[in-house]
This record gives sequence, C-alpha cells and structure tokens, in this order.
Amino acid sequence: MTNDYARHMENVRLKDHIFQWAQRLFLLSVTAVTLYPVLWNILSSFKSNPEFISSPYSLPTSIETDNYYRAFQAADIGTNFLNSVIAVVVLLVVVTVCVIPCSYILARYRFFGSRLILGFFMAAIFIKATYIMTPLFLQMNSLGLTNKVIPYAVLYAVTQFPFSIFLMTGFMRTIPRAYEEAAMIDGCGNFRILTQIIAPMARPGIMTVCMLSAMAVWNDYPIALVMLTDASKMTLSIGIASLYIQQGYYADWVALFAALVIVLVPTVAAFAVGQRYLIQGISAGGVKG
Amino acid sequence: MESSMKRKSKTPWFFVSVCMLPALGLAFYFILWPTVQVLWLSFTNARTLTYHSADFIGLENYTYMFGDRRFIQALQNTLKLLAAAPVITIVNALLLAFMVTQSKLRERGFYRTVFFFPSILSLTVIGVIWSFVFHPTMGLLNGFLGFMGAGEFTRAWAAEPTTAIWTIAVAFIWQSAGYFMVIHVAAIDGISTEVYEAATIDGAGPVRKLFSITLPLIKDIVGITFIFAVSGILDSSFALSSVMTNGGPNGASTVLLMYIYNQGIRNGQFGYAMAITAFTLVMAVCLALISRFITSRQEG
Repeated sequence: MTNDYARHMENVRLKDHIFQWAQRLFLLSVTAVTLYPVLWNILSSFKSNPEFISSPYSLPTSIETDNYYRAFQAADIGTNFLNSVIAVVVLLVVVTVCVIPCSYILARYRFFGSRLILGFFMAAIFIKATYIMTPLFLQMNSLGLTNKVIPYAVLYAVTQFPFSIFLMTGFMRTIPRAYEEAAMIDGCGNFRILTQIIAPMARPGIMTVCMLSAMAVWNDYPIALVMLTDASKMTLSIGIASLYIQQGYYADWVALFAALVIVLVPTVAAFAVGQRYLIQGISAGGVKG
Repeated sequence: MESSMKRKSKTPWFFVSVCMLPALGLAFYFILWPTVQVLWLSFTNARTLTYHSADFIGLENYTYMFGDRRFIQALQNTLKLLAAAPVITIVNALLLAFMVTQSKLRERGFYRTVFFFPSILSLTVIGVIWSFVFHPTMGLLNGFLGFMGAGEFTRAWAAEPTTAIWTIAVAFIWQSAGYFMVIHVAAIDGISTEVYEAATIDGAGPVRKLFSITLPLIKDIVGITFIFAVSGILDSSFALSSVMTNGGPNGASTVLLMYIYNQGIRNGQFGYAMAITAFTLVMAVCLALISRFITSRQEG
C-alpha cells in the first residue's frame, strides 16, 4: 500500500518534471525567435560587407567599428540623433506641463462639461495620429510649421495626450483626498496643492506617462515622415528608413546595421532603467480600460 | 470617499481653466479640428494649389473611391491583415501569459522581460530587421528552410504578391504579442490564488484551469486587448509596409493608410485622401464598437 503510494507520487513527480521541461523548451524557443533577429543585427553590425554577404549567420571574425563611423558619416545619423533627442525633450516638457494639471482636474472636479471633456479624450485614444496625417499636414503647413523639429515634437506630444490623460486620471484617483484636505485646512492654495502635494505623489504615474510618450516619439515613423522631409530635420527613425533605401544602392549593409544599433541602444537603456514603469503603465491601461 | 470637492457648488474656475486650457486647447486644435476637417474636405476637390479655393463636389470622391482599383486592393490587403493579425497576436499573447504566470519555472521573470522587449523597438528598426529575415538570399528564413532540408519552399517572401502582405503580419505579431502578454499577465495576477488552489485540489489540470478559470475571468480584458490589437495593426501596417515592402510588388502589400499617404501627401490629392481617411476612421470606430459589442455580449 505504502509502496504503491510512493510509486504513484514518484510518477506524479516525474510527470511534473517532464511537463516543466516541455514548458521550458517551448518558452526557450519563443525566446530564441524573439531575440535572434535582434542579436543577428547586432552581430552583423560588427562584420565587414564581404564577410556579411558570404556568411550572414556566423559570428564576426573581427570587430569592424568603422561601420559605426560610416553610419554617422553617410547618413548624418548624428544630426538625426540630435533631432530625436530634441524631440524627446520638448515632448516631455509639453506632456508634463499639460497632462498633469488637466488629469488632476478631470480626476477630482466635476463641473459643467467635465464629463464631455473626459469622454472626448477617451474617444480620441482611438483616433491615431496616423489616420489623420493628411489634415494634420495641412494644419501644420498652413502655420508654416513643417520641417521644424520643435513644432513636430509639440504636435506629437498632443497626439499622446488622450492615452496619457487616461493613465494619469486613473493614477490620480488612487491618491487619497485626505492629503489635499489637510493642506487646504492649512491654507494651501490650489496651485500649491497641485505642484507640491499631488505632483510628487503622482511621480510613478508621471514616470510611466513620460516613458511611454518618450518612447513613442523616439520610435515614431508616420508623423515624422509627413512633417520632416528635409534630411537635416529628420529624426532617427526616418533617417534610418531613408538610409535603408539609400543602402539598397550602395549595399553597405553593415553600416545600416550599425545605424540600427545606434537607434536601439537608447531604447534598450531606457527599457532597462524604466521597465517597471512601462509594464505598470501598460498593465494599468488594459486592466482599467 | 465622495468628499466636499466633488460638490458642484464651488468650482474654482480660475484654477480649473488654467489647468485645463493648455491641454484642451492643443487637443482641440490638433486632434478634434483636423478630424472635423476630414469630413468637409472629403466633399471637395482640394488639391495642393487649390486648397483654399476648393469646390464642393458632393459625393464624387466617395463614388470615385469605390471604383478605384488601387483603393479596393489596399482595402483588401488591410482587411486580410485585420482578419489574421489581431487574432493570432492575442492567442499568442494569451498562451504566453498563461505559461509565464502558471509555470513554476525559476526563470519565468526572464521570459516576461524578453517577450515584452520587441514592443519597445522602433517600427523602422523592426521593419528593416524583418525585411532581412525575409530576404531571398541573405535571409534567416530561407537560410533556416535550407538548413532543415526544405529548400524548395524558399522564396522572395517580401517581393512576391502572395506573401508580401503576410511578412507585415508576421513582423507585427512578433512585435506586439509581448505587449499584450503584459496586460494579460496583469489580469491573471489579479485573479485570487485561492481559486486556483481550489481547482488544484479538485484535480483540475493546467489546460482545464485555462479554459474553466482563467479565460472566463479575464474575458473582458482579452476583449479590450483585441480592440487594441485591431487598432494597432491598422496603425502599424503603414510604417511596416513602407519600410519592408514599400507597398509592393505592384500594390500587393499597400494598406489603406499607405494609400492615404500616397494620395494625400505624395500626390497632393487632399480631397480624395480625406475621403479615404473618413472611410478609415469610420472603419476603425466600427471595428472598435463591434469588438466591444461581441465581448460585452459574451459576458451577458
């Protein structure tokens, strides 16, 4: 009897073990499919062109840093990089200045039209900037604001408002009102409550919104493509795309891969630092939506 | 919890206006107004030079649109993507989320990070990388097929009319499954562990748990992620197809948004581009409403 039971338990353990390894095998193969294309790109960026064409899958035999130099030279990736950085900084300023106060009001106050405004922002989540690129272009063009990095960044920041406001209002509702009430009793004005009590408390939410929108503008393709056509005004995303077309003629693939790595590095760094905030924001977006 | 500030009586109008106006003004000017503009310009013959003196031409753009072979082709391509990509993406995301949350593996946190990783990458980078995966001579896919002894299946994936559109779908699924997995993981983590423990005691296996506990409890969120995936493929298809295939060969992978770009931005046919935009907007809203309706009815 006990023997039977022990054998049964061993069977269960063995089954568990096999199941776990099957699971691990599956997850590892998904990991390979997920990472391999990116790794391949990074490895290829260190090869020479003949080496890449003759053996595209092998490890690089030597490290060709010259590819990175050519990437910076040929396509003016340096300028594009700078434009992207400017766009991110401008966007972050606009998003924080506009989204935090607006979300605070929408989370805390009820007044004539407040529900309508919230409804407008929620509906606007589904109007992607890409859909309305033609009227956006006409709008910016009539203001003489095409081919300018800062107006582009402001415009892109605005397209991030709906989702950011959605996340921020959700976050602000979780802050207990007791803090504001205490501050009010102490004679603290509305503006000071917002800047000195709410903003510091909402920091994780602000971080999430900033990370998501900064990554969005860094990675944006469609709006930048429409608004920034001058090579010297292009952001990195667009610069890379035009480099790709260019390299179709020169076949300097390894320099292209080097340029791709230049785009990847800041995103990966931001991901490493702010993964927690990103995942928080994305989870909240789905769960509360 | 409903406290004094929520009462209508004392709205501090000055404070409220200062806080609201920048965001609201900009959003009206750059989101609402352009969207409204779409509608009326779609009834005009606005072009690059005649933009300010455009004539009202009624439904002409719309009637032309439905006879335009290129438009129909772009619509068909978009519908193909919409039919396949969101479903596959969400099924993958669910499967991964379920495995990552339910597994007892020590390294499960690692998988979660890795699967999420592609969703932070630029679509341009993804487009370029995946066009090399599908490259006829240097491509990973053909290399892999050759290695597996299936050399006869190799082809120029992105350059053949039958497969070009699907290379975009694959790149999208690769990129976004991890993103939706994160949302599903959060939802599954929200389910009380007691439910699972009770099920384990009752002898339910992992598959049974998936279909009898997890799925019914997170159905609502799965519905929402499905809507996100639908609007995601519609949006991303533009960047992916312009980088990977440039809409070719001969329009076989041109999607609606790319056709809007070609007509509106490249050719300056603003009026016509607006008609296609209006069509796309209506389609996006309808798809969102339909998916919402289906998921809420299932809850019923």
